Amino acid sequence: MKWATRARIHIDRAACAWLIDRHIDQDADFVFVTDPVLVPEDATPFDMRGVELGHHGGDCSFETILRRYRLMDPVLWKLAEIVHEADLDDERYDAPEAPGLDAVLRGLSMTCDDNRILELSGPMFDGLYEYYRRATLMGREPA
Amino acid sequence: MAEDQQRAREARGPGEWVLLCYRVPREPSTPRIAVWRKLKRLGVAQISDGLVALPADARTQEQLEWIADEAIEAGGTGAIWLARPATLAQERELAQSMADARAAEYKAVAKAAGEAAAAGTGTASVVRRLRAELRRIGRRDFFPPPERDRANAAVRSLADETSLSDAVAMQPGPPEKEQA
Repeated sequence: MKWATRARIHIDRAACAWLIDRHIDQDADFVFVTDPVLVPEDATPFDMRGVELGHHGGDCSFETILRRYRLMDPVLWKLAEIVHEADLDDERYDAPEAPGLDAVLRGLSMTCDDNRILELSGPMFDGLYEYYRRATLMGREPA
Repeated sequence: MAEDQQRAREARGPGEWVLLCYRVPREPSTPRIAVWRKLKRLGVAQISDGLVALPADARTQEQLEWIADEAIEAGGTGAIWLARPATLAQERELAQSMADARAAEYKAVAKAAGEAAAAGTGTASVVRRLRAELRRIGRRDFFPPPERDRANAAVRSLADETSLSDAVAMQPGPPEKEQA
């Protein structure tokens, strides 16, 4: 399937692309557009103004996608707290990881294009997922 | 505002600003207040009723776009514009109003740090709270006023004293109120 989002991606879009690729659509193909009218007709838009998979009711797009696709995995919801705080920084959650992750993604957006950011952030989110999966299983911080 | 930064801006002429022109129905008040709180948190310059501005960059534009959508979802209107003040004087006035607002916030932090130091009530948790407040102000500080350095210095010196007295006495301070 084709998925479209705004160009110059940052934390929420990078995390959404990872979520879509790993948990929703194994054959996801991403298109980056500079204006909403440029979204291809056969693509599902996300993290853009006025689309279903955007910010709604105080949620960031990552949370909206989790809700819309009924993904109940508590590890994904833990990642959602971090992404939410890195993106919105509204202190809804206690996520001390967020400012660090935000700085890493902002830095990448200065040195890499969007496709490269996805290449680099994919394994990073895989690692974060594994870290919090183990933390959830053990009930404490893993080694 | 830092002088070299101001000079650099002026050499380029007025910069680009992102404007949010919005209206949220008076009732229900919850979404209206939510929008207002978010704008306050972003440190926008209020140009007039229902018109706010931030220096344009990818991030500020995105943040205001989501708020525009929120206003629309609440039954109001929200439109985003990119614009340049026609004159440097007008831009300077806008930047100064933002710098003044941040200066007042920094002053409050410096005052709280100074008072805690004077009263000997500086504890690790007071320091943590003031540092968090400085980070919050810093994120919406687009034209840093001199008060920033003073606030940073006041909190740093309180932190130094606190770790020193903690090491010597391990004396618990009075219970602190957590900031909302």
